Amino acid sequence: MSNSMRLPAQPGEVIDRSRRIDIKWNGKKLSGFDGDTIASALVANEVRVVSRSMKYHRPRGYLTADFWDPNGFVQVGDDPNVRSGHRLIEKGMTVDPQNVWPSLDYDVKAANGLVGRFLTAGFYYKTFIKPQRLWPVYEKVLARFAPGGVVDLDTPHGLYDKRYAHPDVVVAGGGPAGMAAAIAAAEAGSKVMLVEHEHHLGGHLLWGSAEDRALAAELTAAVETAGVEVLLNSTVTGRYEDNWVAIAQRSHPQAIERLVKARAKMLVVAPGLIERPYVFAGNDKPGVMLSGAVRRMVNMYAAKPGSRAVVFTGNGDGDAAASDLERAGIEVARIVDARNGENILAAHGPAKSMDSVELADGTKVEADLLVTAVGWTAPTSLLNMAGDRPSYDANAARFFPNSPIDHVLSTGGIAGDGSHEELIEHAVATGRLAAARAAAIGHRLQAATRRAASVDGEAPAFAADDRPILPRDPHPELFRSTTHGIVDYSEDVGSKDLMAAAAEGYDSVELLKRFTTATMGPSQGKLETVNTVAVLGEARGETIEEVGTTVWRPPYAPITLGALGGRIHEPARVSSIQPWHEANGVTPILAGAWIRPEHYGNPESEVRNTRANVGITDVTPLGKLDLQGPDVPKLLSQLYTNKWMQLPVGSVRYGIMCAEDGVVLDDGVTGRLGDEHYLMTTTSSGAASIWEWAENWLQTEHPDWKVHVTPVTTGLTSINVAGPKSRELVSRLVAHAGDGAIDLDGEAFKYMQVRQGTIAGVPNCIMWRIGFTGELSFELHVPSGHGLHVWEALLEAGKDLGVRAFGLEAQRIMRLEKGHFIVGQDTDGLTKAPSTGMTSLIKLDKEDFAGKAELAWAMDTPLPVVVGIQTVDPLIVPAEASQIVREGTNEILGRITSSRMSPTLRRSVCLGQVAPESAAAGTELTVVLTTGERIKARVMEHHAHFDPEGARLRG
Amino acid sequence: MANALEFESPITKRYPSGGSRDLALSDESSQTKTLVRAADDSAAASQLGVAFGGSRHQAGVHIIGQRPTEWLLVGDESAAAAMVVGLDRTGHVSVIDHTHARALLRLTGERSADVLSKICNVDFGDHMTPDGSALSASVAKVGCDITRDDASGIRSYRIACDRSFAQYLFDAILDAGREFSLTAVGA
Repeated sequence: MSNSMRLPAQPGEVIDRSRRIDIKWNGKKLSGFDGDTIASALVANEVRVVSRSMKYHRPRGYLTADFWDPNGFVQVGDDPNVRSGHRLIEKGMTVDPQNVWPSLDYDVKAANGLVGRFLTAGFYYKTFIKPQRLWPVYEKVLARFAPGGVVDLDTPHGLYDKRYAHPDVVVAGGGPAGMAAAIAAAEAGSKVMLVEHEHHLGGHLLWGSAEDRALAAELTAAVETAGVEVLLNSTVTGRYEDNWVAIAQRSHPQAIERLVKARAKMLVVAPGLIERPYVFAGNDKPGVMLSGAVRRMVNMYAAKPGSRAVVFTGNGDGDAAASDLERAGIEVARIVDARNGENILAAHGPAKSMDSVELADGTKVEADLLVTAVGWTAPTSLLNMAGDRPSYDANAARFFPNSPIDHVLSTGGIAGDGSHEELIEHAVATGRLAAARAAAIGHRLQAATRRAASVDGEAPAFAADDRPILPRDPHPELFRSTTHGIVDYSEDVGSKDLMAAAAEGYDSVELLKRFTTATMGPSQGKLETVNTVAVLGEARGETIEEVGTTVWRPPYAPITLGALGGRIHEPARVSSIQPWHEANGVTPILAGAWIRPEHYGNPESEVRNTRANVGITDVTPLGKLDLQGPDVPKLLSQLYTNKWMQLPVGSVRYGIMCAEDGVVLDDGVTGRLGDEHYLMTTTSSGAASIWEWAENWLQTEHPDWKVHVTPVTTGLTSINVAGPKSRELVSRLVAHAGDGAIDLDGEAFKYMQVRQGTIAGVPNCIMWRIGFTGELSFELHVPSGHGLHVWEALLEAGKDLGVRAFGLEAQRIMRLEKGHFIVGQDTDGLTKAPSTGMTSLIKLDKEDFAGKAELAWAMDTPLPVVVGIQTVDPLIVPAEASQIVREGTNEILGRITSSRMSPTLRRSVCLGQVAPESAAAGTELTVVLTTGERIKARVMEHHAHFDPEGARLRG
Repeated sequence: MANALEFESPITKRYPSGGSRDLALSDESSQTKTLVRAADDSAAASQLGVAFGGSRHQAGVHIIGQRPTEWLLVGDESAAAAMVVGLDRTGHVSVIDHTHARALLRLTGERSADVLSKICNVDFGDHMTPDGSALSASVAKVGCDITRDDASGIRSYRIACDRSFAQYLFDAILDAGREFSLTAVGA
């Protein structure tokens, strides 16, 4: 193919003929120029058919040849559904038609057209509803007919980006009105963002006369001078509360797309108008084009859309299209002027092209191009989103904004007609009004924000809208001829379908839309809405005004999932020991946002070593709250179910926290470091919520209590040193005399006590004796800036003691052997504190605490109970969440909440929740495995399977 | 093995040196950081002399009013210690060493606000966030305290976050700054 339909240089062309670009279309090489869209390159290379329609697979050519063209969707490489009327060509680009089989020229699915009368709107709903069991089969078949390109699941994730912006004024639309408004707003002192859908500023001026192009150039230069930020090839896709404006930017130099989230003080809507197709027989044949499409092709891209044209016109744009065609040497065989009552009936010709136009007066004119210019749709979407319900003006044959919105102004063609001067005057007034209102809003924002620069005086008054009113030019109402044709090109819905649907009772416009899917395709109703409403009006014998219209919702134009996802941010937390973990073969596990060491190769071995020698583990994610103030005991008494008023300095106490409904919220220990200074630990997952819980009590119930709660979780690197040789190991690193000395003797530093001192030369460490693993343990809390040092010092000092690191899995095994439950695993959202078996920690004689009223009831009520469980066959480890059922039935009595093979006991050990009648020690249980097999298990006397007396941890 | 008492930075990755310093991200986590909590009408608050939302420098210490009733003092160890010693503890006043709890990054350069605006939904314009202003916000989904602290007239921000998030945040800021040629300095 060579540019056989390329015209000689045109005065307003945007292509650079010095830069030829080769692309592949449908397997064949063709060339275009830098600045060509795929559409203009194809048209210049005599490509007439670019796609097949969705349902009937009718051959389709370009209709609007821009972003909205419903016929222009193509596959570009691995990128499906590319708008070829908009996407610029690039070197080496591979472009293919989509949803055709076996080829664009011979598409077997076009057979749908033969049975088209059976495939009317609602066909799918009615046909595939029964029998329901066959739906999976239907689904597979229908999927083969689904439109759209091919998604390659192996495509690497591209770079999508996001940005926040706080402009004073966002102007949606870079045509003459949008530019003039942006300039005026910027000159009035506003920070302005101008967003243009296309690749150039100028709008319709770009394919207009020499004067039009001169005006576009003048305004473009002024935009730059005014310091307006311009986003080309970008779309304002939505307007939300408080003028939160979403912008899809396709022109970022590095990212494929970028979502700009702009909080605009004022939004100016200036999208111009979108030309509307005409409904008649054959209106989707290749060769039928709108006047704007033809003018863009000829004037901007020097591409010849046909050789002999009929122009059906109801306005000046149609007249201009005829002039442009003649000037470019394309024969205009006939101008059919709707303003004189003339009309067209049909486009005729073979399947893939047209060869004649049938007029209402009965004549047939030979032509391969039919240009229609029948009026415009006002794309009022952004106004709809701001709450406006535009109204229809029959005299002008289009919708107009209806009600003023304080923070959203409209200008340009959407607001009215008039000369360039009138439209620019209105736009300038709009820009100034937007700037004045933005200044008032900015003043108020600044005055209300503490950190902001101070502002003097009262905020300026919200400026009144005294803009000139634009005239509305009369235009004939031209929606449908006397013949039937396509209304929604994207969805293959015709005027006949709409009338049939209305006759079936779907005669409200919202119902009609959903039943027929008209206006629901990728054009988003930009081309179809008004025609749909007009045809429904015909069917109902009512005017468009009486029928009303659908409501445009976000997005204004389809937006990719990539852009919505933007840059993916997944915060990850690591402890100060992470470099050591990574260097020593850790297998990590993600726990919330924390990356934690699950094990270092063999968790069972880690357990055995800890039980026999000494192990160290990184427990930094444990939530840690610094509590200071004279009323800390009151707060602790409020939060925990047990008593805290008498905790001595140097002691640690375990407690359970409940919500007001008595359900276990968290557990942990709190130690008293000084007279008015405590350190609380929470579960890792409860760190944030318990802080909020404590603040909630302080700020809402007891603001008189003097307590400061400060999270210090990551300020302290926490290391648990566990095992029979742990005391020996720690003693090698603590100071034994002087400041910071700690006496580790079992009598001087007992189980459940806390000491502060120097460890491995690091002062201000906290150490307490507790034992989640069931071993003699020392939990060290070290300032994190020295956490790695202390960790490495422990490993170095304990070499001869057999010290090894152990991970989360080994810790979980050991705590299960010891029978310590984990909140959230062995309890759930319904587990009240008495169910844990810790009834001795529920002190109902306290004045008050969270959950007291509910727990008073729960203490006397039979509830599920957390119990230790062992399977009769010691080698079977039931999966966690395995159900416990009543023997011989499927009645659920409980479930296994934790289970592991114990390397220490060489048998399976479990915790579970069971019904109260099954909780007595020795009760035989039936556990259903994931295989369906039922096995026997027994309730144990204690939670602990190992060292139930606690001799080891107190050692 | 790491040396005792040598502060271990939370930024453990190494980045290429060189490149333009016009827009730079650096780690200041080793600075001494002291959290002071006191009532807004306390003597301590008067001494600190800056309200929530603002910051000021005094005797080598950057005093940041980062939340109501909460100040962060940033400086070298001796200057911060001197200020803490002189603090009037009348009433309910807590002083907590936050040196190890909070990482502190500094982003400097005329385009630093553009970098932040890619990962933080705050208006960093001069009117809303002038030099000295302090605020809390989500940066790349991490809760941070941000203080604008221009250096020699060049726009600069101090960004504090939980130490555990520091490496992630450092990389997220660098990623956001790629299009502006942001360089990691001293890390």
